[in-house]
Amino acid sequence: MALPELKEFCMPATADEVASLLEKYGDAALFVAGGTFVHGLEARGFLPGVEALIDLRKLGLDKIEKGRKGVTVGASVKFAALEGLSGLDTPAYGALHDALSYPPAQIMNLATIGGCIAASCPFYDVPAAFQALDGVVTVQGGNSSRELSIGDVYAGLFENSLEADEYISSLFLPKQDSGTSSAYIKLETNANDLALVGVAARITVGRKNKISDARIVLGGGLNDTHKRSAAAEAVLNGEQASDTLFQQAADAIDADISPISDHRCSAEYRGAIGKVYVRRTLQQALQRLD
Amino acid sequence: MKQLVTLNINGEQHELAISPDATLLTVLREDLGLLGTKRGCDTSACGCCTIHIDGKAVYACVVYAMSVQGGEITTIEGLGENGKLDPLQDAFIEAGAVQCGYCTCGMIMSAKQLLNEEPNPDEEQIRHAIAGNLCRCTGYAKIVDAIKMAADNGLKGQSS
Repeated sequence: MALPELKEFCMPATADEVASLLEKYGDAALFVAGGTFVHGLEARGFLPGVEALIDLRKLGLDKIEKGRKGVTVGASVKFAALEGLSGLDTPAYGALHDALSYPPAQIMNLATIGGCIAASCPFYDVPAAFQALDGVVTVQGGNSSRELSIGDVYAGLFENSLEADEYISSLFLPKQDSGTSSAYIKLETNANDLALVGVAARITVGRKNKISDARIVLGGGLNDTHKRSAAAEAVLNGEQASDTLFQQAADAIDADISPISDHRCSAEYRGAIGKVYVRRTLQQALQRLD
Repeated sequence: MKQLVTLNINGEQHELAISPDATLLTVLREDLGLLGTKRGCDTSACGCCTIHIDGKAVYACVVYAMSVQGGEITTIEGLGENGKLDPLQDAFIEAGAVQCGYCTCGMIMSAKQLLNEEPNPDEEQIRHAIAGNLCRCTGYAKIVDAIKMAADNGLKGQSS
């Protein structure tokens, strides 16, 4: 196998057991959840020195709790369970509804909320929607916890900012303001492909279609991580929604992209398609409010 | 270093000593000789290793075998009863939904979850259910026909 130094696969049931394992293995321990991403790294030889895999799925982090201010989703909740979230069919959560429509059943039944964020993989769909909805993650480390915006979890391509003893325990999705709508669209080469380009958009629209708050999240290799486009959001905020405005916002993403070139497509192609998808995603979000 | 694991596969308990990072696919094929589950991309992209854990389709190539103790694992060999093929398997034969056959077992396992949850799917639901399974031969038309045929046969069986 591709983890030649691996000694143990562990499934702790409590935070104390996690702490004991970290004490034993230190930086040689690696957290896993659904495992879909870790295996990809492992198979490519990107995980040297791992002596213990710590599976987090027995920690009881699999609850979905609705509160007055929003919904808290445990890190081990699978994509398939999130499909049943009430309100997912409303315009405000459109981006999440869209993003969950892309992964095949085999991934829906395995991938977890925490894992898809911690992977810091710009080609994933669901984290882009979480970021557009202003999701906040709670990170557990030892006996303490802290909160991070999703953007702050990312440190680089496939690298998160968490300390070696930290793991995501939950995600909070705040209740959205009235007049809010969102959407996510990706470009893929087949129904089981990672995003070549993926864009999530969220707009809150008031009287005369004036946009009071906008989020544009760029993914699919437009940068090394999912990233909000401050430039596009600045174009949208305070202005009346229209196709012309959406095109202006799309053109503005140049300030916020540094596209990846790889065997699937060039940076130039990603940049050009990114603009098209920003415009289309905004149009889709607006249409949902009709 | 090996770890001990007990796996419930097709209704039988198997006690095994496996590498801690062994995937379920490797254990099924190399430890247990259950070769119906195919190794294709080995990176959750092609679907030919699709099996069920607790009735849900997953890619066996990315599931750590150590992580599924206590789960009910079903492979293509576990479908059908009393020496008879599953109606989906019959339908694939009847519809001629097989060319090279490499994707077939995974396709059937994905379709099985669909029919368990939606006995009367439309074409869009069928195509969505097999979106995680690649076929490089058939163009999918006969596979979709076969799944629809199995659904129709199942509904007829219920009403007769």
